[in-house]
Amino acid sequence: MSIAIAPRAAARPLPSGLRVAARQLSGVKILIPFIALVGVWWAIREAGQFPERVLVSPARVWDTLVVLASHGVLAEYISTSMSMIGIAAVISLAIGVPIGFLIGSNRYAARGLEAFLRYLQGVSGIAWLPLVIIWFGFTHTTTLVIVIYTLIVPIIFNTMTGVRAVPEHYALALRSLGASRLRLITDVYLPGALPSIVVGLRLGMGYGWRALIAAEMLVRQGGLGDLIFGARTSGQIDRIIGGMILIGTLYIIVNRLLVQPLENLTIARWGVLRK
Amino acid sequence: MSVEAITPMSPARRALGHLLWRLVPIAPFLIILLIWIVLWEVFRPSKETLPPVRDVVAAIRDLGLSGQLAQNVIASLGRLVLGSLLGIVTGVAAGFVVGLNRNVAEMLNPLAVFFNAISGIVWLPLMITWIGIGSALAVFLIWNTVFFIVFQNTVLGVQLVPEVLEQGVRALGASRSETLRSVTLPGALPYILTGIRSGLGFGWRALIAAELVGAASGLGTMIFDAAEYHRSDIIISGCLIIGTIAIIMDRWLLLPIERRTVQRWGLVSDAEDRH
Repeated sequence: MSIAIAPRAAARPLPSGLRVAARQLSGVKILIPFIALVGVWWAIREAGQFPERVLVSPARVWDTLVVLASHGVLAEYISTSMSMIGIAAVISLAIGVPIGFLIGSNRYAARGLEAFLRYLQGVSGIAWLPLVIIWFGFTHTTTLVIVIYTLIVPIIFNTMTGVRAVPEHYALALRSLGASRLRLITDVYLPGALPSIVVGLRLGMGYGWRALIAAEMLVRQGGLGDLIFGARTSGQIDRIIGGMILIGTLYIIVNRLLVQPLENLTIARWGVLRK
Repeated sequence: MSVEAITPMSPARRALGHLLWRLVPIAPFLIILLIWIVLWEVFRPSKETLPPVRDVVAAIRDLGLSGQLAQNVIASLGRLVLGSLLGIVTGVAAGFVVGLNRNVAEMLNPLAVFFNAISGIVWLPLMITWIGIGSALAVFLIWNTVFFIVFQNTVLGVQLVPEVLEQGVRALGASRSETLRSVTLPGALPYILTGIRSGLGFGWRALIAAELVGAASGLGTMIFDAAEYHRSDIIISGCLIIGTIAIIMDRWLLLPIERRTVQRWGLVSDAEDRH
């Protein structure tokens, strides 16, 4: 008996024409709640007669985004934020994964550093911002340090957990066949830990993206956080709401199109090792 | 003979090993402390850049004695408790309504994903213009953060309760509300608690970020104000306290509750599998 989880309706094979139509329909279905939301927003705006400094119409937000985009300003804000999170992710992986390996390969190191890493994770990156500003000023370096700090801890942590979860007899089997330590890492521990590393990356991106937006608000050197926080002082609600929509959309794009497929891929390819 | 000779040694040795094993988590903290002391003695940086350890200890003592610390901790924790309670109550309630109606859930899912992506700190600029700086702002950001995580986990938990169990209890004559209370709620509880735990983690971060700019008191405000006077000792004290509170909350409060719940009610699918 395996009815632990209510089975989902099995997808029946559809004729190709129908399948395309169905896919289009599901695309529309995702949009329906958003269209409803915009409708409600518009209705509230019309009914309440709010001043421009409190609420603007959806059309106004759209116009603002178009104007910002046509001047190339929007691309600049977006590319600043995206390159920050991208650089931070690459650096965090490059440093965090080896550290995670070192810690994970030793029982005492793993136990010793677990509490410490949890503690670091408890001090959110943004709390260090005032100190880092004293160190590096209001620069991109400051933002980068904060985002890397936020991103790297979950990556180290999950790499460590992943390495420790690899059954020891896999390594022993390879060693008895004469494998070197390097082979052990590339053929056993790295693939074994990979699903866990990617989970760490996803978690880190979730925390890191928020830390980035918050840091940009305070450092004020460009980026989407700067866009929406700067607009606050001049009461440009259209810019704030437009920026929020962009932040949400970009996060979903990065998460759904990059991180989650990567996670599914590694779990499908190597996740079996953990069972 | 040699075995007998070793055995009397063994308990003492084991106790020593055990003690070492228990003390190992303290090591990284001590090492960092040592590096900090040595670095400071060797390079003698300005106190603004990196204060000596004794300054930070003194800062914590002074903050504690003047009552400033207690005041700020209470302000921050009060907001966290209020915002989280609101987030948990509304998140669980909405999660139940949506989780029990599969069509509604499918409909609303895109909205939930989007608003989860912009939950927390992203709302800061808009909410400052709407409700101004103060406690309400921080409470809103926490509510917003906690709500979406608890909501998504509750929906998942409710949907994963095996329908057979619900139908079984209904067939024995239980009313719909009885079934909800005695089957669906306990079944979903492990997921809900996971949501609460991770929601509080994000909420605490959002709170500190919100307090950096949007509050008149609290730990975030304390460190941000200290930055203006370049009081690194207060900033570091604040970070250490923020981390300590996060750890106490997560490890000593939420994790035990989560574990107990999973032990008590998380067995549903296990029991199913055993048949």
